[in-house]
Amino acid sequence: MLSIKNLHASVEGKEILKGINLEIKAGEVHAIMGPNGSGKSTLSQVLAGNDAFEVTSGEVTLNGDNLLDQETEERAREGIFLAFQYPVEIPGVSNLQFLRTAVNAMRKHKGEEEMNAAEFMKLAKEVSKQVDLDPAFLKRGVNEGFSGGEKKRNEIMQALLLQPKLAILDETDSGLDIDALQVVSNGVNALRAEDRAILMVTHYQRLLNHIVPDYVHVLAGGKIVKSGGRELALELEERGYGWLGIKDEDTSN
Amino acid sequence: MKSAPTLSSAFLHPAGQSLPEPLLALRKQRASALVDMPLPTRKTENWKYSSKYLKLADDMAISLPTEGKGGNSLAVPGYKVVFNNGVMIPEASEYPDLDGIIIQSFSDLDEDDAKAVSLQLGSTLDHDQAQFARVNGARFEDGLFIRLLPGAVLDQPLFVIHETTADDSGSAYPRIYVEAGANSQMTLVEEYISSGDASALVNTVTEFNLADGANITSIRLNMEGENVQHIGATGVLQQRSSRFESHCVGFGGPLRRHDLQVRLEGEGAETKLNGVVVTQGKQHYDNHTSIDHVAAHCNSEETYRNIAADQSHAIFNGRIHIHQDAQKSNADMNNKNLLLSNGAEIDTKPELEIYADDVKCAHGATIGQLDETSVFYLVSRGIGRRQANVLLTMAFINELVQQIPVEAVRETAQARLNDFFEQTFQEA
Repeated sequence: MLSIKNLHASVEGKEILKGINLEIKAGEVHAIMGPNGSGKSTLSQVLAGNDAFEVTSGEVTLNGDNLLDQETEERAREGIFLAFQYPVEIPGVSNLQFLRTAVNAMRKHKGEEEMNAAEFMKLAKEVSKQVDLDPAFLKRGVNEGFSGGEKKRNEIMQALLLQPKLAILDETDSGLDIDALQVVSNGVNALRAEDRAILMVTHYQRLLNHIVPDYVHVLAGGKIVKSGGRELALELEERGYGWLGIKDEDTSN
Repeated sequence: MKSAPTLSSAFLHPAGQSLPEPLLALRKQRASALVDMPLPTRKTENWKYSSKYLKLADDMAISLPTEGKGGNSLAVPGYKVVFNNGVMIPEASEYPDLDGIIIQSFSDLDEDDAKAVSLQLGSTLDHDQAQFARVNGARFEDGLFIRLLPGAVLDQPLFVIHETTADDSGSAYPRIYVEAGANSQMTLVEEYISSGDASALVNTVTEFNLADGANITSIRLNMEGENVQHIGATGVLQQRSSRFESHCVGFGGPLRRHDLQVRLEGEGAETKLNGVVVTQGKQHYDNHTSIDHVAAHCNSEETYRNIAADQSHAIFNGRIHIHQDAQKSNADMNNKNLLLSNGAEIDTKPELEIYADDVKCAHGATIGQLDETSVFYLVSRGIGRRQANVLLTMAFINELVQQIPVEAVRETAQARLNDFFEQTFQEA
């Protein structure tokens, strides 16, 4: 489904990704782990199409189509979804209006009828229950005044509504208490499907107790330095990143 | 040295003589005081950013002839008074005869009422700050007089449609005077629209005189066409425990100027001023507001937002003057501005003068652009870039639009805003 070949990317002239290679097939769940500054978030942002990052070489395809040629909105319509590490607060745009606009943009792209306000309200209420978010949040500004956990649940709610082909979860566990982590994980597990891939980017392995990955990759210095199965994450938890020859200033917690 | 420009004498000669005698006399007196009135230049502080947009050719001095048909087709959810080129059109106006409420054109006032009105006209305004209100005083052909007797409540909004029809160049001088008795209430909607291709000058004055406990909501929609220069002044005098709420929505033009002056003269008076301005192309819009806290224990809250696209120019000047005896005043002024292009210009200036020592006075002004992080968030959900820009631009003013208490006005404003978005944001 997703194929990344020798991807290099820079921000403000500084190279962050230095040759990433990764193949993800439909139905698989991959976890990318690594210390701070290893390039995890950069990879997520580059895949979603953030202009602040410049791809200097390499190739990324989604189901054979060149992803890097596409605008962010085109990628989203083709099925890329990024759950943000820091979801943006947008006062003045209601969450409901935002979600309906997004869902209808997708439906229009697929040649489906757009949903009217009443139909969408019904759907949104159902999905908000799935992530344990009070439907009252639908009327508030996008993420406006939401707690960290509420923002993350709102991200997963969007993924459930938009039904992407590839969901990229950027540090979705950060800032979550154990109950919120459970709710978010349930949401992500509900996303697992044969025709969908999930890419989790995380610093800590605790999320992986709840969402069990098929593959784990270690990203360091802008490259994937080791890949393995679920057991690799456990080993990282036990031994830190040091045994792989990686400096990690922030493994406490 | 070049001598300072003065108002052409062509502007001192009103055409219509159909007003009652006391008003004709007032007009004449005001006109004679206007001989050699200096015109604003860029050295005139309160016209610094706007004088270059002002074009007062002699052919603009001609009073635009009134056409009886104006505004007929406009349906409003309330009472309606239609003015064409500053003269009331009774056939197009629909309002009932209500107890305690007098709604009358200046031309229809009897001698006594006309005399009373002539003594009050202009009393709510500082003409040194709103110079062009003087020209209106010398030129008005007609006007609307509203008197709410004590306790009277107008049960529906009163829409005053001011249509300017300019088939040839000329000017119009709409005027409204509202005398709100103690504890009376009304909502007045002023809509300024235009038709015709010739260049026109619309010079308006609206005055509200609020007695103790009166509660007035004023809504002002400025939607005239591309050939109309609009200079308007609104004066508000508030006595004890009165409440005034203003919602101004303005779309740019070759010259757009609105002066809004509020004097809080009675203790416990409250005023709330909201304003939204959008400009595009080479348009201009200048809002000057002034709030005088004269009495103690008064509250004022002011929120203005400007959005400027293309090469347009928006100006906000907000003055708050807290007089020496106005202890326990509470004043809050906030102005935020959004630039949608590198070629657009916004100037904002708060002016605070505080002479009392026990007051709360807060002000804030910002100028920014659309937040790229927010745009990225929206487009990453499949929302098109154009629509993301529209959503975020609307978000900037949505709060103020939603506060307009008359749904039909919100809809009219939204429809015009949609046109603005249509023209401002092109599909990528």
